[in-house]
Amino acid sequence: MSQTHEKPDRRSTPSTPRWVIVFGIIALVLALLFVISHFAGVGMSGH
Amino acid sequence: MTMTPGLRKFALTAHVTSSIGWFGAVAAFLALAISGLTSQDAQMVRAAYLAMELTTRFVIVPLALVSLLSGVVSSLGTTWGLFRYYWVLLKLLITIFATIILLVHTQPIDLLAGVAAKTAVFGADLRQMRILMVVASGAALVVLLVLTALSVYEPRGVTPYGWRKQHQQRKVSPVVDAET
Repeated sequence: MSQTHEKPDRRSTPSTPRWVIVFGIIALVLALLFVISHFAGVGMSGH
Repeated sequence: MTMTPGLRKFALTAHVTSSIGWFGAVAAFLALAISGLTSQDAQMVRAAYLAMELTTRFVIVPLALVSLLSGVVSSLGTTWGLFRYYWVLLKLLITIFATIILLVHTQPIDLLAGVAAKTAVFGADLRQMRILMVVASGAALVVLLVLTALSVYEPRGVTPYGWRKQHQQRKVSPVVDAET
């Protein structure tokens, strides 16, 4: 026999885990370094 | 949308095989790129860049596309979803980014292979591009290693979208469904 939940939502959305924030910052820095190095012509001369 | 067990295992097999194959092919590419940059043997250098072009076109690019596609299918066909968990979402974003970078880098690879097909002499103007091949493939290996680690560790964390979905399901599902 089954029942159904009808409780209202009392909890708020969980916060973003710390590892996601750290991961995101590192990825953003690396992506920026990649873009800057290409615009500076360090690696992609010719394309 | 949930897939049948047979289809789910097929998609997972395709995803694991293509992802690991992608890693292995990039490792081979790195060895060729280092050889092309450092070897004193002109024929070896030519062979390296010609092999790099073939490896990219017929192995690395197809494997990357299959990995991306099979990953999306596997996620959408299971309870993991594509946007419900941070690790799945990050894997998707990183794989899309890596695939775009790979497709962009096929241009200099083609250029180097074109030069290698004609002559054994690489001018100084191509040196930066040859160094780029080593740096880019080394960076790609690190990125692919991170993707593999995310799949194995499955770090916890539900996105706001995933959290809402879970609550919607709990509202309509029986109490005895303790697994969610």
